[in-house]
Amino acid sequence: MTDHKSVSIVMIEDDEGHARLIEKNIRRAGILNAITHFTDGTTALDYLFNSADGPQRNGPALVLLDLNLPDMSGTDILAKIKSADGPLRRTPVVVLTTTDDKVEIQRCYDLGCNVYITKPVNYESFATAIRQLGLFLSVIQVPDIEPQG
Amino acid sequence: MFKRSFLGFGVSEGRMGRFLVACMALGFAALVAAGVAAGWSTAQNERHTRDVNHTYEVELAIGRARVLTEQSETARRGYVLTAKPVYLATYRAAMRALPATLDRLAMQTRDNPRQQRNLAMLRQSIDDLSRQREVTIALTGNGESARAVTVFQGESNARRMLVLRARADAMVAEEQRLLAQRDAAQQSSVRIFYATLAIAGLLVILVAIASLLTVRRYTRDLATSRDALRDFADTLEEQVEERTADLTRANEEIQRFAYIVSHDLRSPLVNVMGFTAELESATTEIGALIDRAEATAPELVTEDARLAAREDLPEAIRFIRTSTQKMDRLINAILKLSREGRRVIAPQRLDVTAMVETIAASLQTQIEQRGATLAIDAPLPGLVSDRLAIEQIFSNLIENAVKYLSPDRPGHIVVRGKTHGKRVTFEFEDNGRGIAPNDHQRVFDLFRRAGNQDQPGEGIGLAHVRALAYRLGGVIDVTSELGRGTTFRLNLPKIFVDPTTAATREPQQ
Repeated sequence: MTDHKSVSIVMIEDDEGHARLIEKNIRRAGILNAITHFTDGTTALDYLFNSADGPQRNGPALVLLDLNLPDMSGTDILAKIKSADGPLRRTPVVVLTTTDDKVEIQRCYDLGCNVYITKPVNYESFATAIRQLGLFLSVIQVPDIEPQG
Repeated sequence: MFKRSFLGFGVSEGRMGRFLVACMALGFAALVAAGVAAGWSTAQNERHTRDVNHTYEVELAIGRARVLTEQSETARRGYVLTAKPVYLATYRAAMRALPATLDRLAMQTRDNPRQQRNLAMLRQSIDDLSRQREVTIALTGNGESARAVTVFQGESNARRMLVLRARADAMVAEEQRLLAQRDAAQQSSVRIFYATLAIAGLLVILVAIASLLTVRRYTRDLATSRDALRDFADTLEEQVEERTADLTRANEEIQRFAYIVSHDLRSPLVNVMGFTAELESATTEIGALIDRAEATAPELVTEDARLAAREDLPEAIRFIRTSTQKMDRLINAILKLSREGRRVIAPQRLDVTAMVETIAASLQTQIEQRGATLAIDAPLPGLVSDRLAIEQIFSNLIENAVKYLSPDRPGHIVVRGKTHGKRVTFEFEDNGRGIAPNDHQRVFDLFRRAGNQDQPGEGIGLAHVRALAYRLGGVIDVTSELGRGTTFRLNLPKIFVDPTTAATREPQQ
């Protein structure tokens, strides 16, 4: 639990293509942090809270979250991460999804999402958005995880 | 169902009228019959009274003749016994009166042959009697009283008197018989009169009852049909509301479906476009490699490789790009439509005239460029509805009218409105290029357009207008003739009622 530990990125995205494009563009933005990719909510939650090398036991992380997942709603994952007494409540969550429904966006922020980005369908805009996210990731400070017990 | 009941009602009305007229005619006929019967009966009665009087007169005359005969006999007997002249005078007076009495009797019974016969026999008896009497009177007059008495004793006088009396009695009996006969006739005529009167009365009562029943049934039918009409009017409104509610529901469902579909189509499209971009950047790299290879080691570059890198790959990527871009536009259009459908409707009081004037002002340049005019039949009826939706509908329709004017003639567009009860109809009329009849419904479909495709557009505008109209509880239709012009007719509730709240209110009623 030192300050030198690099921030790992946890990407929860069911679409392999999207995941690949996001990763490519993050790398293009010069971010070299490790990216762990999950295509469903259950394994992602298991990794976040229980895995030996997961963020709860192993240093700070940043979560990239898609709302449309096959097994559960992204907002459920968001609620679990941000629950008031959870160990990961200070972990930044970037919701990156195709949904641009106003109500949904508001709900995400209410649940404690830090950034909400709608995936633009136009690829150039998409690439730009992800690269800008990369730039943003390179400057933000991620809090340490409080050790359990 | 309603139509049939109205028809049935119309028929019964005509039949009922005819029936009532028939009843009245029958009633009057019965009354006339009763009147005639009364007249006839009175006449019969009069005749009968006359006949009775006649009978009494005849009987009186017979009685008188008998009295005279008896009187003369008594007088003769007195004269023969006493030979006093006073008896003779009495006898002569009675005998003088007798023929006149008999003559009157003959007059009175001249129409009755039996009485005539009786009378003749009576006269015969009287003549016989008077001849005998004259013999005794003559003997007494000569002073031969004793001889006269002897003759009188010998002349079976009493027997003659008896015959005479019997004949008079027969005449009386004959008159009595006639009287009885006439009484019977009178009785039967009275019975006929009463029967006629009773039948007529019964008929009048029956007719009155039938008329009364008919009128009552007619009134009841009238009330029933009035109720049916009122119910029909009520249900008509309900039906319209139900139908609009159905449309709104269907519209909502389609929009939810459109939202989900367009949303889910977006994800794969992001991949297609993203990896096409990746492919393109890779193609650029490969192109550069081919260029370098050609410059340094031309023997390495085959014709196929060069063609693939310089033409085939960029061409393929270009087609993928234009297709995905088109698809993206379409998905966005659906998304926009569905988003509009999901938007919360905020009804407010709208000044439609001012709104249309604003829209006209924003289109002024285009209208002038085309040398057209736009007339607003002000004031347009106001609405309580969603401002954005109404603005969108009106501007789409007016824009369309301007866009599809005919180049052959100066364009003229009219916007007018009219209130019908709780609903308002707006008309957007132009003299533009028109829409072929086949396309009248098609123009409202998403991505469908009619006529020459010489104007930019995706075929979204009218689909959007129709979706919005349904959303606001309205309907839209079009009448158009190709080459002549088009009229869009938009029917909206004057005051927007949210179908969801209306639906929850309904069961309580």
